Parts: sequence; C-alpha cells; structure tokens
Amino acid sequence: MSRATSRRVGRTAGGALLLLLAGLLVLAVLLSLAVGSRQIAPGDVVDALLHGGAGDDAQVVRSLRAPRTLIGVMVGVALAVAGTVMQGITRNPIAEPGILGVSQGASVGVVCAIAFLGVHSLSGYVWFAFAGAGIAAVAVHVIAAGGRGGATPVKLALAGTAMNALLASVVSGIVTTDARALDEFRFWHVGSISGRSVEIAGQTWPFLLAGLLLVAAVARGLDALALGEDVARGLGHNVPLLRILGGLGATVLTGVAVAAAGPIAFTGLAVPHIARALMGTDHRWVLPAAALLGPVMILVADVLGRVVFPPSEVPVAVMTALLGVPFLIALVRRKGTVAA
Amino acid sequence: MTIRPSGFSVLRAGRGSFLLHRRAALVATVLGAALAVTAVVYLCVGESFVSPTEVVRVLAGRPSPDEFVVGTLRMPRLVVGLLAGAAFGLAGAFIQTVARNPLASPDVIGVTHGAGAATVAAMTFGVTAHTALPYVAILGGTAAAALVYVFAWRRGLHATRFVLIGIGISVALGSLTQLFVTKGDYLVAQQAKVWLTGSLNGRGYDHAVPLAVISLVLMPALFWAARAQRTVSFDDDTATALGVRLGRVRLCLIVLGVVLASVATGATGPVDFVALLAPQIARRLTRTAQIPLVGSALTGALIMAVADLLARKLFSPIELPVGVFTAAVGAPYLMWLIVRTRSRSGGAA
Repeated sequence: MSRATSRRVGRTAGGALLLLLAGLLVLAVLLSLAVGSRQIAPGDVVDALLHGGAGDDAQVVRSLRAPRTLIGVMVGVALAVAGTVMQGITRNPIAEPGILGVSQGASVGVVCAIAFLGVHSLSGYVWFAFAGAGIAAVAVHVIAAGGRGGATPVKLALAGTAMNALLASVVSGIVTTDARALDEFRFWHVGSISGRSVEIAGQTWPFLLAGLLLVAAVARGLDALALGEDVARGLGHNVPLLRILGGLGATVLTGVAVAAAGPIAFTGLAVPHIARALMGTDHRWVLPAAALLGPVMILVADVLGRVVFPPSEVPVAVMTALLGVPFLIALVRRKGTVAA
Repeated sequence: MTIRPSGFSVLRAGRGSFLLHRRAALVATVLGAALAVTAVVYLCVGESFVSPTEVVRVLAGRPSPDEFVVGTLRMPRLVVGLLAGAAFGLAGAFIQTVARNPLASPDVIGVTHGAGAATVAAMTFGVTAHTALPYVAILGGTAAAALVYVFAWRRGLHATRFVLIGIGISVALGSLTQLFVTKGDYLVAQQAKVWLTGSLNGRGYDHAVPLAVISLVLMPALFWAARAQRTVSFDDDTATALGVRLGRVRLCLIVLGVVLASVATGATGPVDFVALLAPQIARRLTRTAQIPLVGSALTGALIMAVADLLARKLFSPIELPVGVFTAAVGAPYLMWLIVRTRSRSGGAA
C-alpha cells in the first residue's frame, strides 16, 4: 500500500498458499460446527452432515450450527473483500467498512425501513442497507477529502468516528421511541451470527455474488491504482469509473454483511493486510486469499465468543474488535502509515 | 510604566494583581445568567408543570406543595448534570490547550471509554456502591489515557498517531465493556446498559456527592492550571525561554483533564462530545487566543442542562438518553472541524 514497490507471488507458490488457506477454512468450519455449549466429536459432525441422523447431536449440528457457520462464511467473505477494495480505491491502509461508518450507515437504513416504512422481510430491507451504506460511504469520503491535505488516514478515521457517533445516536433515538423497531432490531444491533436461519443465506447470496463480480471486474485496475492515480491513468485505466465500480462493489458487500449479521468491524481491516503480506501486491491473488481468510477470522472469533463465558455467548463483533485493534495499533505505529 | 494589553483590566488587591479579560468576564456573566434561567426552566418542565414562583420557593427552602417533584426528583438530576457538564467542559479545555488541537478531546482519545469499561467491570465483579464507582472510573480513564500515550509514543508524540491510536483503543475498550456486560448476571447487565447510554435518568445526590468532593479537592489545582495554561499556549521556544518546564506543565494539565473527564463519566455514563464542544464554543464567544476555563465550564454545564431538558421533553412521555442529543449536535460539529482543519495547528491533518 504505502510502499509503491510491486511484489508478487509466483504461480505455484501462490496456488500452494491458497490451498493452505482453504485447508485452514475447512478446519475453522469444522471447529465452528463442533465447539459450543455442547461439544460434538468431529466424526459425529461429518456423520450428521453427510448421513443426517436423528440424534440430539445431529439436530444441533444441522439446525443450529450449520446455518450459523454458513452465514459466518458469507459475512466473512463479504467483509474481507469489501475491506480490500476500500483500501485499494482510497489508497489508505486503514480504510474499512466498520471504521469508516459504512456498516453503521447500512444499519440506519435498515432501522428506518423497519420503523418508518414497515418493511419486515430481509429481501425488502437489504435495499435500504445498500442505500444507507452508499450514502454513508460517500459522505465520509467527501468530509475527509475536504479541507487541506485531502483524505489522509487520520481524517478518514475521524470522519468515520464522527459518522459512527452521529448514526448511532440516530439509531438509538429511533429504537428508544419505537418499541416495535427495538424488538426486531435487537437481533442484529450488535453484529452477531447466532440465531440466523438458512433462509437469510438463501436470500442474500445473489447480492453477495453480484458484489464479488463487481470487485473481480476492477481487480486489475486496483493494481494500477496502487502505483498512483497518474500511473493508473497512463496505463489506460479510467480512474473515476474504477473508483465508482469498486465503491459500488464494496458498498453492496458491506450491505449484504450488515443485513445478514449486523455491523461487524475490523475483519475488513486485518484480513486484507494479512492477505497482502502473504500474497504480495497483485489483487488477483490478494482478493481470493482475503476471501478465504475473512471467514476464518469470523468463525474463529465466533467460536472464541462461545467459549469465553459459557453458557452466555459473546457476539462475534465484540471478538473481532478485540482481535483487530492490536492490528490497527501495529499498523499506525509502522513507518509510513502516518505521514509527518 | 505599566503595559496593559488591550481588552484587559487590571484588578489589584494589596500586593496581588490579576489580569481580567473584559470580554471573557462579560461572557461568563451572560453564560451564568443563561444557566440560571435554564435551571429554573429545567425544574419547571417535566411530566407535570410547576410554576416558576413555586420553584423559586423550593430553592429558597420555603415550604411548598411541589417540594417533592422539584426538590427530590428534578433537583439532584440537575445538579449531577451541571457538575458533570462543567467537568467535561474543563477537561476538554485542558486537553485541547495542551494538544493545541480541538480534535483531541477526551471522547476521541479513549478516556471516556476507559472509565466506562472500568465501571462496568467493577459492576460485574459486585462493586455497585456509588461511593466507590467514581474512583474506579478515574482509574479506568487514567489507565486508558496512559495506554494511548504509551502506544502513540515513538520517538516523540505525533498528534495524528495519538488520535488514531486513541480511536483504536476506544473501540477495543468498548468491546471489552460489551464482554463484561455479557459476563455479568442479568441484573448487572441491565444496570450497566442503562448507565452506558449516558443518561441522567434516576441520578440522585449520591452521584453528585463524589463529583462535588473531587471538584473541591481539585480546586487549588484548577487555580494553578489557570495560570499554567497561559504559559503553555505560547510556542515552545518562547515558553522555554521564559523558564517554563513545558513537559511537566503539560503532563499535569493532561492528568487534570483526564481525571475530570473520568469523574464526570463515572457519574453520568459516557455523554459524548460535551468535552469537544464546550471549549470551542466558549473560545468563539470570548474571542481570546487561549481557551477560557470559566467559560468552558459554564458552557459545558449549559450544554448538559439544555440537552437533558430536550431529551426529557421532546419525545415525551418517552425519555431519550442525554447522550443521544449531545452526539446529534457534536458529531456534525466534529465533521465540520475535519473539513476546516488547517495543517499548521499541531499537524492535525
């Protein structure tokens, strides 16, 4: 990011790394299916998934943990890819849906839809999530880019913090005055993937796919943009179009994640940096790596949240923040992130 | 020959003398009057209306049929709000003076979240006495500030790094608070949640007492700070040439600000943005080069009282937490500051 040098990974090494990450994801999925207030042996998990079975364990795995894990995977993919694209198009190492207030914007969209327009189905309010996320993203960027010096990391983070505070106050204002909205909204007020039904996954996957396709279309452009706007223009890329398409993709992905699980911060921050450390700067390698690592982070955080204070569960958003903040601190302390 | 800066009057009493900024004094008087009017309105308005004459009777200590509503229900809440608002305003004034940057307010650099996390943790582990919690809050706020300071230190303190780390630590402490809420039993969780919204609802004199005691204890320090603040607002070279120990004075001012913000948070919960807004408004009113302390305290108290009045009345019978209103006003102001930031003042951008 801050280093303009291009570093890429070889084809075989990259393939091997992706395979390794895929293995990690499979492990995380098994962990998420097996660990909880009722411990289930991995053999039984596989058995329950493949052959069904009527025992209590099989019931728990298929009706409770499988949907939760599936949604965790989708949310992880969406957030990690959205974070990678945001860091790419803003050329800013701490850009992330949570910090920039985009997730909170999607929340406000959903709360307004529930409270004022009487929209109660996920396929209905996912559009409001997109609209809210889009408006918040544009507003934060405009605020941060105003004034002297353009959109520096600190101005983006501060504008995001202000946006988060403002939107949170709007949400709590609506929720305190409208009891019905509170009841429905409570479910994903704090980002969590527990208690979601399979239907949510069924309703959101087309949007997830659309977002991923948009991002895939701009992957090469992001590489050029990493070298600077002028270089990207010189290489024949249409920079404004690139930013609009990429921003649209990131917005759709954030909206999907929020509609399915509520606002979850820091996955979109940490994962892209890990992916870049592994894969180099080529977005055609970084994006798949991020898409594999994102679900790993969400599932591991979720499993940790289940085991710290049994029998209560800590929402996954709380755990990702605790895992992600040390990462932010390390990034900020690193040379070059904060220009003097 | 005496040199008198324009806009100042010299007050002399025996051997002591004091430079009085005339406009600042005028502003303080006007703010005080506004505060008195707001306080009376605050005590009149509510679920039942009490006439101002009765309110004044109660305040004067004479028997009145409305003694319960005004004296027992509304008065303690107002007192806590005013004290906490003044403490937030002063805290913001100190920290913004040292940082020479309006963005470095106690909310942004993690103090309020630290106090919040410590208080909820204490509640989870069974400490619920109103006499103990303020000190826990001070501990938490100071620890958070120290943590931010340590992480932001890297061959010198850079304002940008300081703010970014502060935001990160704030988020982490917020998550930690959630974690404690999850761990605690149902009753504690309920209590903690109410406290965490930043509300004055149900605050009594038992909340006001520690706040008042700590403010009294800090009084001598505040008088020292009023003098020290003037020396810190010079540029570094001038201050050093005048023989000021800059590092020590700055540290003391920051500690004072952190303690004040933590105590206020302990009493009311995290009410965002009062510490950011109050000093900035006060300085624009007095038009002084440095942030006026008395003005900041009065403005903070006024913001708190007005915001709580609105929070009680605007959507009645439903009461909103006061923090909702301060955030609704403060967050756009922060955005405006970001748009207007000049990079010369301490390198904010």
